[in-house]
Amino acid sequence: MTITTLQLCEGAILSYEGILEQSSAGLRQLLKAGEEVIGYIYPHTPLELILAHGLTPSLLRGLPGVSGGFEESLQTFACSYVRNLYSQRTNDQMPSIAGLIFPSNTCDSLHNLSDVWRFRFPDDVVFRLTYPATRHVKDGSIVRYLAKELQLLSDGIEESLDRPFLSENYQRAVSLVGQFREDAQYLYSARVAEPAVLSYTELCRLMRAFLTTPLPAVGLELHNTTSLVHNRIKKMALSSVVTSILKAFKTGHFSQIKKLKSSHRPRIAVAGGMVEPQAIANIITGVRGFIDSILILDLLSFGFKTAFTPPLDVEGDPFEEMAKSILSAPGEPTQEGLGHRMSYLEGLLGPLEVDGLMVFEQSFCDPDEFEAPSIERAASRQGVRTVRIPIDPELSDRSRIEVRIQSFLESFGKT
Amino acid sequence: MTETKKEDKAYRQLESNSLLQQIMFQYMLEGQQASEEKRLAWVTSGFPVEIPVAMGVGVSYPEQYGAVVGSQKVGPEVCGYAEEIGYSQELCSYARASIGSVEKPNASPMDGLPVPQALLACNNICGTVLRWYDAVSEQTGAPVFLLDTPPIEGEQPEHHKEYVRKGIDRLVDFLGTTFHTTLTEKRMREVADLSSRAIKLYNQSLAACKNRPSPLNCADRFLTMAPVVSMRGTDIIIDFYQTLLDEVNSRVKEGIGAIRDEKIRLLWDNIPPWHSIFRFFNGLAKRGVVFPADTYTHAWSGAIETDDLYGSVVSIYSNSYLNKGLEAKIDKMCQLIEDYDLDGFIMFSVRSCKRYSLGQLVSKEIVSERTGVPGVVIEGDMVDSRLYNEAQIQTRVDALLEMFL
Repeated sequence: MTITTLQLCEGAILSYEGILEQSSAGLRQLLKAGEEVIGYIYPHTPLELILAHGLTPSLLRGLPGVSGGFEESLQTFACSYVRNLYSQRTNDQMPSIAGLIFPSNTCDSLHNLSDVWRFRFPDDVVFRLTYPATRHVKDGSIVRYLAKELQLLSDGIEESLDRPFLSENYQRAVSLVGQFREDAQYLYSARVAEPAVLSYTELCRLMRAFLTTPLPAVGLELHNTTSLVHNRIKKMALSSVVTSILKAFKTGHFSQIKKLKSSHRPRIAVAGGMVEPQAIANIITGVRGFIDSILILDLLSFGFKTAFTPPLDVEGDPFEEMAKSILSAPGEPTQEGLGHRMSYLEGLLGPLEVDGLMVFEQSFCDPDEFEAPSIERAASRQGVRTVRIPIDPELSDRSRIEVRIQSFLESFGKT
Repeated sequence: MTETKKEDKAYRQLESNSLLQQIMFQYMLEGQQASEEKRLAWVTSGFPVEIPVAMGVGVSYPEQYGAVVGSQKVGPEVCGYAEEIGYSQELCSYARASIGSVEKPNASPMDGLPVPQALLACNNICGTVLRWYDAVSEQTGAPVFLLDTPPIEGEQPEHHKEYVRKGIDRLVDFLGTTFHTTLTEKRMREVADLSSRAIKLYNQSLAACKNRPSPLNCADRFLTMAPVVSMRGTDIIIDFYQTLLDEVNSRVKEGIGAIRDEKIRLLWDNIPPWHSIFRFFNGLAKRGVVFPADTYTHAWSGAIETDDLYGSVVSIYSNSYLNKGLEAKIDKMCQLIEDYDLDGFIMFSVRSCKRYSLGQLVSKEIVSERTGVPGVVIEGDMVDSRLYNEAQIQTRVDALLEMFL
């Protein structure tokens, strides 16, 4: 099977709106069936904890087509993601959820949003999970702190929604989420070895579907795709390459990666924070003359960083294990450790044969906008060209973004 | 003739300002000396500075430097140097001023801050400080130490105290390793005592503004808070705060106000527009508007003085005004309006400062509801005057003042 036919195998690639609609439909079905859903907005929310309470966690995201609604409560310099979420709630565009988990100590906009939300929507059940910003210490204090916060969140959920934490639910959740991550990690690694083995858009769709409705059936679709990709990789004699990439992603040591065989050029990676992987995939596919297999990797919060969060040890204390897992996920710009993050990035650019790096920044997002210049410099040190793309969930500047990306990609020569 | 002119002004200068200038000059020299001796740390305003001071580490405050950049009206230029190397104009202007001045010290006021050997950030004032100091660390090579004090709601829980306490332990280790120094209980107690005395004296001056007329206006408090921010824990500032308190008490005794003809008493919320601080507050002083209280300078309220010295540090620096929720901010505003008998309030929505500013639109409504006094939100920036529309602000303030006529 040639690469071209493999691409065709994916069938009709859904548009961004199509993916959103599909994942929303899944959520609507769930709600119709009487399931209680807890919305979350930060990538490192412990899905296992929510599932252990017999509730379904669902990632609420910034949506295109949301216009206004925040102005009475938030200033225009609140980050675009925060404004979008708030407008969805004001405009009744949010699904009917049992509760909503906000992060704290990640960025000021999200922290203050939860305060504003509580005042404006006093009947909403709002939880807050506070994360440590300290990251690289070995005295156990950050795990203990987060474990206690997770326990308090669990107590709060039980108290507010009368849903106790059940061990059997937790064990099932650990297995389900663990399998999702294992599959997603494989797919990420496989795409680096041979990007045409699965379109980036399809990977995004599968991940989004799971994060919106993390049910066994949804996980199974991802798993089946992984099996298919596994076979394709085997037939291409790329298994050992994929294994070496997977190992490198987990350990951060990229020097042992086996020589890549892909001839597709350019090989583009995407960096950024909580921007939508689907939105990026959609923009790239909209750029004339390029297909999304030029995108070999994203390092986004809802993409790579979610996928490469380590699994839990089901035998250990649940709260401590969840804390350890969250704190071992790839670093976020909301945490300390800029040097570690840049070192990881610089380490992978050469061995993964990255030709160009697109750095997406959510407008008015402190973490994204502070990190971007460092990413540019890190890439430059490795001789990798970069382009910075400001973006908002509404894709309000889409035409200009496409032109900018097109110019960037054309600078490498057409595929 | 000169005296008459002075008396004609709507705003009365503090005599203590000359001493303030001397102290701040000394602070600058000490920073330079510490840098030359390779023992200088840059610190955030909410950092438990008593610890590095007790360990013989010199300190400089980039936020205060940002205020200098703003007041010298070169914010757009210095922030622009940071923008030239990739930092968005949407980011905090204190951070941009700091990064910009490191990039081009010779083109910045005072040739920038002295070069640091370490960067000490405490995120009890905002989350931006970590990312800002990380950026400066890339520029200077100085390592960053983060004292993480996650935001709290209500009472500080035990696990939070333990976590911050561990951070304090690591701070002492970090300073010991970086600067080859140690911390003794005796020295820490001395420094904490000096810090507490300065804060108490300053707070007494603030409290005196409950009187009518108010002996201090907003700009007075913002300027005189500089030593308590930047030189907490040193003995040199005790004299200054005693002198200031004496002057304030004397004004109260003689019925002399900070402004000539006090008619309207308002609360100020947030950092001031440093580039327009005198123009803004003195302009209002001419119309009889005084600001006897503000949420910013009243943040310095904690004194380290219990037997459990480090427990006290943990408690004070975790419970700072900006590290608590919106409810606590609203309570504080209401309390100040009541205690200082204020007629209304102005909230400065600072584009740079999301932690302080996001939520103001909600709190404005609630504070008005609870206290029955009107308020207005004006928007701009504290350092970057490109983000400050004076005419628009004037219109909004005029609308508020009309309500008092």
